[in-house]
Amino acid sequence: MTEIFILIGFLIITFLLVVAKRITALVRTFRVQAVLLSLYVFYMGFSQRHVELLVVCALILILKAAVIPFVLLRVTRRIKVDEDLGLLVNPQVSLVIALGLAYLSYLFAHSAMSLGKTAELAAFITAITAVCVGFFIMVSRMKALGQIVGLLVMENGIFLAASAIAGGMPFFVEIALFFDIFVFVIILEVFVYKVNRLFTHIDTSRMKELKG
Amino acid sequence: MLIISIILIPVILTVLPMFIGRIRLLGLINASGYLVLLAACGFFFKDYSAKGSPGINLWGWAYIDSLSVFFLLITAIVSFAASVYSIGYICLEVEESKISTRKARAYFQLFNLFSLAMLMVPLLNNLALVWIAIEMTTLISAFLVGFHNVKESIEAAWKYIIICSVGITFALLGIIFFYYTSSKDAGVNSLEWVSVLSRSGAFDPKIVKLALIFIIVGYGTKAGLAPMHNWLPDAHSQALSPISGLLSGVLIKISLYAILRFVMLANLSIGYAYSAKLFILFGLVSIVIASTFIIVQKDLKRLLAYSSVENIGLISLGLGFGPFGGIFAALLQAFNHAVTKALMFFCAGEAVRVYRTNNMNQMQGMIKIMPFTGIAMFLGFFALVGMPPFSIFISKLSILICAFEGGYYLVAAAMLIFIALAFAGLLYHIARVVLRNKPQAMPLQKEPLSLKIALLFLGAFILGFGLIIPKDFLNLLVNCQQLILGR
Repeated sequence: MTEIFILIGFLIITFLLVVAKRITALVRTFRVQAVLLSLYVFYMGFSQRHVELLVVCALILILKAAVIPFVLLRVTRRIKVDEDLGLLVNPQVSLVIALGLAYLSYLFAHSAMSLGKTAELAAFITAITAVCVGFFIMVSRMKALGQIVGLLVMENGIFLAASAIAGGMPFFVEIALFFDIFVFVIILEVFVYKVNRLFTHIDTSRMKELKG
Repeated sequence: MLIISIILIPVILTVLPMFIGRIRLLGLINASGYLVLLAACGFFFKDYSAKGSPGINLWGWAYIDSLSVFFLLITAIVSFAASVYSIGYICLEVEESKISTRKARAYFQLFNLFSLAMLMVPLLNNLALVWIAIEMTTLISAFLVGFHNVKESIEAAWKYIIICSVGITFALLGIIFFYYTSSKDAGVNSLEWVSVLSRSGAFDPKIVKLALIFIIVGYGTKAGLAPMHNWLPDAHSQALSPISGLLSGVLIKISLYAILRFVMLANLSIGYAYSAKLFILFGLVSIVIASTFIIVQKDLKRLLAYSSVENIGLISLGLGFGPFGGIFAALLQAFNHAVTKALMFFCAGEAVRVYRTNNMNQMQGMIKIMPFTGIAMFLGFFALVGMPPFSIFISKLSILICAFEGGYYLVAAAMLIFIALAFAGLLYHIARVVLRNKPQAMPLQKEPLSLKIALLFLGAFILGFGLIIPKDFLNLLVNCQQLILGR
């Protein structure tokens, strides 16, 4: 039962992500999502007596709930542009779209996978919803930082899917993935600075030097 | 031992620029390093064309079979050519003070890290680590795409990272589906290639089909398959020219390698027909979109980039005709395209340096200003569009024959029409750049020796493989075909 509550929390946070209008709000909501993800992994590790999952839980807390939000908030502070996310779709419509995506994920999970346990199915639906919502954030939020968070939300969804249906990836693969995400965020931070310096904004819909 | 040297050489060459300040010396050491690496890959090639039994190395971390050797060979050949071309290219960039000495040293470091990541992909024994290596190629080469720190190149680099990362995230989801069915239905709790492959017959067909779509869309983004190709013309045209050659020649094929690995896994549970359908679908879309864009191009390097999309489409079509010998033809096309496109990008890079623009309307009379490069570019163009006696002629023809043998008459007709369109577009643009009267004020240019060597090296492959394909190489390709079809 506990994991269902965690998953409901995760789902609600996923919906809150599309309502966020400002970069700082988006990053803070993302942080809460990461905490819930680590709680879920902790619960799985605890109930299955899996020590490796506990290590993964700690790593999620350190990396996704502390280091990455810190880096993203630091960028936001330093580049001193307005914090507006540049929404292509307003929050109300975004929320409706997110609900639609959740329903589609539900249909997808039912038809594609033959998952026995309710808890597994619920986790899988939540995970696919997070992947879809992350993708939606990437295409509908024009600020560079919004796109980074969108990608990280997708990755959170994939982590959830992995620990829900496959009982977590092999341990060293998870470690390697954490390393990859860390490098990814650091390199994108560098590029956000470069974009900001050259274009004096980080609005990707206004980057139009290359055509055809 | 060989495998350690293949990994160690780029690592050493990455560290070296910290201690050596002279750019020309650095470039020379770099190129000779890649010559040794090429020799090492040559030894592998000799081993595997003869026996072809896979080997596990480095305490289970590395896995080598004919397919890995084939892709290693492509990577080693084009990287060597690019490292030779880099000597003259970077020296001139420094002399014309487009980049500082410090940046030139950073260039050699990034070049080696990039090659290292690409060399790791065919070597690694673990499917998730292959995924990470491919993600690393994106992250490292993004710096080489945005190297000049101007608006266009940074925009291209940003698009490149974001679109490819999204694509590859979908591929990760595909990997997780594979892992799910392998742990649930086949009882393998690992992503190690050997153990997964041995039990892949027990996979759940429904989930494998689903996973394969994610894999082909995901890695296909990186491979430049349309409609996920939007980043490719930007990144390949904005990158430094030696790197453009590597991106177009090698990187898109490396992603294809990752797709092929999963196709091999899927074979035992769902057969090849399903993958073939997906390959034909994406291949057709790619050649249609690419040939249309080739006609309206103004930018020389973008033109070549779109031609890469067309060629990856052709390769994908060839893979789609797999059961009729298409895999053989597709891999041959992949090899031929790699060397030819690298040659074209090196020539284009020299043209861009001399004319100081990418716009083809302002590039004229290349053959009079730079006779060697101009002729190389014109011959390279004939090779690229598939004229005899050059190598692409043979591979394109084989793909077409496979299409007819498989009874895909409509697909073959569409293929012919769009190849012809791309031919017309390329002919119009390249002939204008090379042959028209040169601008009055332009003197005869001195062409760097390193460029000439790189062009001759690649040209030898283009002409040589067009006249006669070595028997060992044919053996290797046949081995690869058998591996992929699982026979």
